[in-house]
Amino acid sequence: MKLFKNCLFAGLTALALLSVANVTTAQETDQVGRAPYLESLKGKKVIFIPISQGMDLNQSWVVVWQRHAARYGFSLDVRDPNGDTNAGIRAMQGAIAEKPDLIIVQNPDVQTYARLLKQAQAAGIKVLQVNMQSATQTDSYVGNDWIEMGRLEMGELAKHCTGPNAVSHKVVWLAGVQTGAANIYMRTGIDEVLKANPELQLVSDQPADYMSEKARQITETVLQQHPDLCGIMGIWDNAEVGAGAAVAAAGKQDQVTIVTNGAGSATGCESIKNGLLDVIFNFNSPIQAEIAAQQISELLQHPDRQAGSEKTIFFGPITRVDKTNATGRNCWKLDELK
Amino acid sequence: MAGSGKSDGARMGIKMSQELVVVAISVILFVVFSATLNNFLTQGNIIAILKNVSILGTLAVGMGFIVVGRGIDLTMVAVMVVGVAFSIWISTWGIDFTLAVVCGALLAAAIGLFTGIMVAVAEIPPIFATLAIASSVYGSGRIVFASDVLYAPSNIAWLKFVGSGTILGIPMSVVIFGAVAALMGFFLRKTRFGRLVYATGDNPNAARTTGLPTRPIIVTQYVLSALIAFTAGIIMLGLVTGIDTRLYNSSLIYDVLLVVVLGGIGLSGGQGGVRNVIVGTILVGILTNGMTILNFSYTSQNLIKSVILLGALAIDAIINPRDEQTSQSGDI
Repeated sequence: MKLFKNCLFAGLTALALLSVANVTTAQETDQVGRAPYLESLKGKKVIFIPISQGMDLNQSWVVVWQRHAARYGFSLDVRDPNGDTNAGIRAMQGAIAEKPDLIIVQNPDVQTYARLLKQAQAAGIKVLQVNMQSATQTDSYVGNDWIEMGRLEMGELAKHCTGPNAVSHKVVWLAGVQTGAANIYMRTGIDEVLKANPELQLVSDQPADYMSEKARQITETVLQQHPDLCGIMGIWDNAEVGAGAAVAAAGKQDQVTIVTNGAGSATGCESIKNGLLDVIFNFNSPIQAEIAAQQISELLQHPDRQAGSEKTIFFGPITRVDKTNATGRNCWKLDELK
Repeated sequence: MAGSGKSDGARMGIKMSQELVVVAISVILFVVFSATLNNFLTQGNIIAILKNVSILGTLAVGMGFIVVGRGIDLTMVAVMVVGVAFSIWISTWGIDFTLAVVCGALLAAAIGLFTGIMVAVAEIPPIFATLAIASSVYGSGRIVFASDVLYAPSNIAWLKFVGSGTILGIPMSVVIFGAVAALMGFFLRKTRFGRLVYATGDNPNAARTTGLPTRPIIVTQYVLSALIAFTAGIIMLGLVTGIDTRLYNSSLIYDVLLVVVLGGIGLSGGQGGVRNVIVGTILVGILTNGMTILNFSYTSQNLIKSVILLGALAIDAIINPRDEQTSQSGDI
C-alpha cells in the first residue's frame, strides 16, 4: 500500500513538474521577432493623401489599412483632397509639418507632388506611393505595372482586331488624365503593341478625364466617323461604362470590344454582365492594399533607416475578367471587405 | 413702363446682332467641318451633336432663365449630381426608383428654394450665394454617398427610354432638351410672370419701386432652375446608366455660362431668351464635335472654349455697353 502511495505521489509530482515546465516553456516561447514587431508599429502615425476617397479603389485600400492599423496599434489619418489638386498640395504640406512616421500618397499626376515628396523625405518622413507614381521615386511604390497594363489592354484589342474575322483594324484609346502616371506609362505599353501590330489603326486618342459622360460623347462622335470601329480601350471601368452606353445605343455591342481596367469592385462585374464592358483587367485593390499593408509594416519597423535610402517597388497581380469569371473575389463589395 | 418698353425694343435689335454673329460663326464652322472632315455632314453625326449637347443645353436653359433676371446660378451642377445621386441612394433602401426620383426632384426644389431665399430675402449677391451653396450641397452629398459614382438600378424601362429611346428618329435626350427649351420660351415670352422676370432683370430697383413682387419672382426662378438641373441629371442617368458626382469639379458650370453668354444673354440682365441659349448650345456642340473628330486634347479643347468665352464677353461688352443706368443698378 505504501509502495502504491509512493508511486502515486511520485507520478503526481512528475506530472505537476511537467505542467510547470510546460507553462514555463509557453511563457518563454514567443514567436521569433513578434514582440519587436508589435513594439515598432505601436503608436506610430501614418497619413494617407488620396486623389479622392470617392473612388472604389481608395475605399477598399482604406478598409484594409484601417484593419491593419487597428490590429497593430498605429494610427491612420486620411486627408481627402477630393480630386482638388490644390487641396492635395495643402494636405501634403500639412502632413510634412506634422512629421508623421509615414506618408502614403496617391499622386494625381507625375509632377504636382514631386518636390513635396523630396521635402518629406528630406524631413525624415518615409513615403509610400500607391498605384499612381510621381516623377520622384520614394521609399516604396505599391501598385500597378502600368506599362504592362497598356500592353495587356492593347494586346487584347490586337487579338480581336487583327484576326481574319475582324470588322476593321480601328481602335480607340480613351485616356484618363493625360499627365497622370497611369496614362503616361500605359501609353508606352500601347505603343509597343501598336509597333508590333502595324495594321492596327489608332483612330482616336482622347482623354475622357475619368468621366463616363465624356467617354460617352467621344465614343458617340468617333462611331459616326468610324462606323466599322473594332475596339475601345480605357483606363477605369467606371468611366468606360459611358463608352459602353454609346456603343449599346448604336447597336454595335457585338462589333466593338471594350477593354478597360479597374479595382475589381462589383459594379465593374455588373457592367460586364450588362454588356457595357467586355474585358476588365482587374488589379484587385484589396489585394493591392494587403501588399501595401505589409509595406507599411516594413517601413515602420525600421525607424533608424533614413527616409529614401532604400527604394522598393511592388507590382500587384492583374486578373483578366470577362463574362466567364465575373464572380466571387473578382467582384468585391465594400461591405464584405469590412 | 413705356420707357422700359422703348429700351427693351432698342435692345431687341442689339440682341439680334449678337445672335447673328454666333449664328454666322456656327454656319462657318459647320461648312468648314463639312468640307474637311469625313462623315461630319451625316444624319448620324448631326444627331450625335444634338445628343451630346442635350445635357449642356438643358442646363443652359435654366442658367439663361436666371441670367435674364440678372442673377447667376452656380449651384446647377451640384444640384444635378446630388439630386440624382440622392434618388439612387434612397432607392437602395428598397424604395421604388420612380418614387425615389420624385424625392430627388423635391430635394432639388428645396435647394432652389433655399438659394432663392438667400438671394432675394437675405440679399446675398447671387454669385457668392450660389458659389457657397453649390459647395455645401456637393460637400453634403459627398459625405452621405461615400462613392463618387452611383449606378441606377437596371431594368427601369422609362430610364432606358430616356437614354436610348427615340421619337420620330430623334433621341429622347434631345426631345427633353427641346421640351424644356420650348416650355421656358413660352414661359418667358407669353406669361405675365415671364415679363416680370425681364422687368426684374432689367432694373431690380425700379421693378421693386413700381411694386413688382421681385422677391417671389427671384425665389421661383431659383426653384425652377434647380428642377431644370435635376432634369438634366435624369437625362445623364439615362444616357450613361450612372451619375458621376465628380462632375461638380469639372468645367461643366463654366461651359453652361459659356453657352448663355455666347448665345447673347447679357450678364447685365433683362434681355435675351431661350433662342440665344439654343444658338449658343449649337455653336458649342459643333465646336466640340469638330475638336473631338480632330483629336484635340482635353486641355486644348478647354483653351479654345475659354478663348471663345472671352471673345463672347468682349462682344457683349461692345454690343451692350455699360451705361449710367446699368452701372448704378450694378451687375451680378
